[in-house]
Amino acid sequence: MTVKEYFLPQTLDEALELLAKHGSSLLVMAGGTLAMPLINDGISLPEKVMGLRQAGLNYINQTNGTVTVGATTTLNQLSDIEAISVLQEAANNAASLSVRNMGTVGGNIFAPSPSGDVAVALLALDAKLKLVDPNGERIVPLADFYIGFMMTDLQPDELLAEIQVPVPAGKTIYIKFGRKLANTPSVVAVAIHLVMHGDQVKDARIALNGAGPNPFRAKNAEAVLVGSSLNVATIDAAAKAAMEESDPFTDAVASESYRRKMVGVFVGRALNQLAEQED
Amino acid sequence: MKPKIVSFTLNGRHVDVIVNSFSTLQTLLREQLGFTATKAGCKQGGCGSCTVLVNGESMLSCLLPVEDVAGQEVTTLEGITPLEGLHPLQETFLEHLATQCGYCTPGMIVTSKALLDRNPNPSREEIIKALTGNVCRCTGYEPIIKAVQDAAQRINGKGA
Repeated sequence: MTVKEYFLPQTLDEALELLAKHGSSLLVMAGGTLAMPLINDGISLPEKVMGLRQAGLNYINQTNGTVTVGATTTLNQLSDIEAISVLQEAANNAASLSVRNMGTVGGNIFAPSPSGDVAVALLALDAKLKLVDPNGERIVPLADFYIGFMMTDLQPDELLAEIQVPVPAGKTIYIKFGRKLANTPSVVAVAIHLVMHGDQVKDARIALNGAGPNPFRAKNAEAVLVGSSLNVATIDAAAKAAMEESDPFTDAVASESYRRKMVGVFVGRALNQLAEQED
Repeated sequence: MKPKIVSFTLNGRHVDVIVNSFSTLQTLLREQLGFTATKAGCKQGGCGSCTVLVNGESMLSCLLPVEDVAGQEVTTLEGITPLEGLHPLQETFLEHLATQCGYCTPGMIVTSKALLDRNPNPSREEIIKALTGNVCRCTGYEPIIKAVQDAAQRINGKGA
């Protein structure tokens, strides 16, 4: 254990001050379910840690079609958001009961793939992030936030304060495929939001995890769907497009080629289920 | 590392402890306070053997800095055990031989307690889902699931 100082700010302002003072020497931690295992094992050796559990970022507000979720709201608390079933589904399928009581929605966004299965639902919902620094705040779509494996657009003096999630206007689905039924990392996770106009797809958002260095939107597959009906040929073409634009990786869970195949299988399966789902 | 004084409620009693900053609740419970029902397994949040209740919700004490529970209510297996006799979960774990080596048992019982407090009549599937974070390497889980089902009936029968 190398940690010499542990800070527990009681407000967001206090957290921002500590970050400004200690800079990159400070490890920012929320629920601790990602950072603590690495620290316990001596893989991560931070000298200073800031825990956000008491910084007042644990809240859920629902107003005018948007649900605003504080960054340290726990994954189990997300299960209370009845207005967004796809988010409940994603949260309920993450890790174990005790980890969900600790792990936070904000932390999940920074989880290295194939973790981050809640983030994939947030991507399909077109969630926006409120990033705060000592001089103010900016709102960034989650889709623009990811840059690469464990890399985001978060600036050194910024903290993620809240996530703004629009209540879905269309149909949604979430499928997580792992090697066990529960408490397991994803081979792939798929979250889709579709707005239909009659038989035609008016708007599509397909988000994938386990299929690239970070959770991402399968834009080519989305383009295949928009303007078409959800028939067998379109669904096959969209699944194929999603496979082609994936950039999966090999790890202990699955190989790159298996993950790519499963992207096709599960995008296809999710779209088929959406086609059968009532509007 | 600077020592700190942290106050919280442990099994219904107020405690003030002097801890090294950032030491985990698991280390405090086992090595400083002698509450060894809380086990030290993987220290990764993956095995569930260190599960405790914080304000009634199951959490992993290996991932929890002590400072984070300041002012909170922590319950360990010792706190679930009545002064005389056993908790219904402990009785049914014994009756169903749901322990073999016993290392996972405290975590299993603490997690099951959290489940039954929220959901007094869980289905078999709900029990399995709640216990997915608790790893047992000997009983094969079936006796554990039956023990939780029986404990639920026993608690409800008493109208508790």
